[in-house]
Amino acid sequence: MAPRKAGERDMLESFYSIIALVFILVACVELCDAATVVDVYRLIQYDISGVPFGSRLAALNHHAGSLHFAPGADLSRTVVIIPVRELNMSFVKEYIVQRQPLGGLLFLLPQMFNFDNRDGMGIYHQNHGKELLHNVMVELEQLLIHANIPYPVYFAFEDSDIDAVLADINKNDAIGQPATATTGGFKFVVSAPEPKKLASPTITNIQGWLPGLKTDGDASQLPTIAIVASYDTFGAAPALSVGSDSNGSGIVALLEIARLFSLLYSNPKTRGRYNLLFGLTSGGPYNYNGTQKWLRSLDQRLRESIDYAICLNSIGSWDNELWIHVSKPPENAYIKQIFEGFSNVAEELGFKVGLKHKKINISNPRVAWEHEQFSRLRVTAATLSELFTAPELMERTGGFVDSRHFVNETAIIRSIKLVAESLARHVYGHQGKNIQIFSDKSSLAVNPSYIQLWLDLLSRTPRVAPFLSKNDPLVMALKKELEDHTNEVNVQHELLDGMFTFYDLTKARLNIYQVASVTFDLLLLLVLGSYLIVLFSFLVITTRGLDELFSLFRRPPSRKVKTA
Amino acid sequence: MLPPLCASDLLFGFLCSSSLISLGFLRKREREREERMTMFHFFNCAILTFGPHAVYYSATPLSEYDTLGTSVKAALVYLGTALVKLVCLATFLKVSENDSFDPYQELLKALIGFIDVAGLYFALTQLTHRNISQNHKFQAVGLGWAFADSVLHRLAPLWVGARGLEFTWDYMLQGIEANANLVLSISLAALGSLMWLRKNKPRTLIPIIYACAGIVATMPSITSYLRRSLGWHFPEVVGFELFTSLVMAFISWQLFAACQRPSS
Repeated sequence: MAPRKAGERDMLESFYSIIALVFILVACVELCDAATVVDVYRLIQYDISGVPFGSRLAALNHHAGSLHFAPGADLSRTVVIIPVRELNMSFVKEYIVQRQPLGGLLFLLPQMFNFDNRDGMGIYHQNHGKELLHNVMVELEQLLIHANIPYPVYFAFEDSDIDAVLADINKNDAIGQPATATTGGFKFVVSAPEPKKLASPTITNIQGWLPGLKTDGDASQLPTIAIVASYDTFGAAPALSVGSDSNGSGIVALLEIARLFSLLYSNPKTRGRYNLLFGLTSGGPYNYNGTQKWLRSLDQRLRESIDYAICLNSIGSWDNELWIHVSKPPENAYIKQIFEGFSNVAEELGFKVGLKHKKINISNPRVAWEHEQFSRLRVTAATLSELFTAPELMERTGGFVDSRHFVNETAIIRSIKLVAESLARHVYGHQGKNIQIFSDKSSLAVNPSYIQLWLDLLSRTPRVAPFLSKNDPLVMALKKELEDHTNEVNVQHELLDGMFTFYDLTKARLNIYQVASVTFDLLLLLVLGSYLIVLFSFLVITTRGLDELFSLFRRPPSRKVKTA
Repeated sequence: MLPPLCASDLLFGFLCSSSLISLGFLRKREREREERMTMFHFFNCAILTFGPHAVYYSATPLSEYDTLGTSVKAALVYLGTALVKLVCLATFLKVSENDSFDPYQELLKALIGFIDVAGLYFALTQLTHRNISQNHKFQAVGLGWAFADSVLHRLAPLWVGARGLEFTWDYMLQGIEANANLVLSISLAALGSLMWLRKNKPRTLIPIIYACAGIVATMPSITSYLRRSLGWHFPEVVGFELFTSLVMAFISWQLFAACQRPSS
């Protein structure tokens, strides 16, 4: 009997230890059972010379609210979810500019701006609605970029899940209180670490060199013409800044021009007496930092041999007028020559080209156009652009508003024809003559599918420079493309100007939980407690009798009565 | 009077302490007000699922006669039975692609379900119990059986699911199902003790006893038929289980009382 009892006791002990082990193991299970999980994109966080801008926090764990809250309500522990279609600029200004406390902001962007969404591309909604939305979003983006926001701000795209959640939140807020226990509210949770500074962000410049025809008699260096475009963007949501027009159109134009001239230069009989230098520069939004560093790194003789440089900036959404921006006065002989060449070709192609002059202020660090970096090193340069006025810092740098829908391929094709023809006439000495080298039916025609392919690719690739690594696929792709069209390609890695500091964490996942309120839990506890008490009393009464129930309340029970 | 809550106190204390221990394993960033709230819901569901067992033990005379050993042995027998059933299911059952009701598979599952009955027979008759009356024996065995069933089938989903931020009614319904299961187990144990332990029963009642035992034993198959074939949702199934368990409890109580009269 005794050994059997000992065995039983061992069995019991092992049973309890197994239970404890199960408890401990199960405690380490990660909880991840949200109702909905949505991809969200964070507002950019950066410093200019130590002054903070953008959203300074990433982690989020608050209840959700909509715009229909009661006026004067305390929103410091609420995430306000705002669809951009119903944006109320006054609310946003009040809360952001006046630094009112808020738990967080979530902006819902229309699917139209989602470059991942295949169906969204190429669907043109009503034009005037698009225009209004476009203007509102531009204003919003500018406001967000220049504000210092101490709470997390995220962007998401409208889809069925989040629309349902928003409808529920609106309903709850309209009633005035969170509704019944089961629809007590929604909780938005983004678990993200503290954003860290990006150490030494690199900017990468890619240059391609097409040498001209050097005959035996030429002792000196051939003159060079440079065609430059900056390829990076900057926007409120770095993961969404695809910049189709600024400057995707410029990149595409540069690649197509390189392709056309490589065809011409491949045959020594048609090779011109000018070298061609193609430059894809980075650091555009930061006062064309990359262009400056690239020019400084060029060999001085090469730099002095540059006849002139054409910079391409936003040539994708114009109708019938382009502008050439210069920093040298229009009376200058070189400028006159260049402008005449361009305007002749433009006239033949059926649109206008205007000349705009903006003086450089050497003491002002602000560089509004790319050609100003050339001019500061005394190289003649001009920028071809659809924009009339020079953009301010961080303006028109390809934010989330600049999507594929707003770019017109025909405009890019016309710009390419303009630049290519003008260049060719200058290189081959046919100024003033009515010759079409790149006519539509020749083998040198501008290839619309090539343009469309590259434009689509660029419209799907966010290109904010600090977040592009040295071997980023896009940089490699651009390098390879230039290698196909030019003889010699150099890639230059530089550090971004120390004035700008960026922080990481651009994408996150938002978990949306439907939670019950505390009062519900307490109520449930009360109900369960009373159920157990009722059950206890019922069982005592039925098995032991009513007297036993009353005897339980007479404490302490007198033992003498029991044993007797 | 000995404090009757000593055994259930132990159980409760064990549950609470293990919850607190596992709290210590949670990472720092989860230690917020919200975490305490989600543990609250887990606590609520836990007391609904496991509370009635403890209450039953302490309220009825079971605690006075210290029948905890019997309950624990019955729980162990249940675990053994569950293991045997698992092996049989794995060996004999085919995995079906769709969720429809296959009569042949369900028949097989019902047959394997009778291993439960065999286990209960073993617990009632073969285990040596101290001198406790038949009345208390079947209650203790039924209680241990139901407690082991709840722990095995409901504790893990409760721990993993009820602590999440997302609120669902599922765990409350599971708790109500545990209650129904307790009643059913005790009725089955009562009918089992009537069938196997009581020697002289009135002739007329024997077929009724066996019929009721059969119904209670095949409850799992009936509920799965309702859920799959008729498409009932979880709340409706739980309601049905609750209703049947109360009806069955009443019938087995009457049968037990009827069989008790001639022998006394």
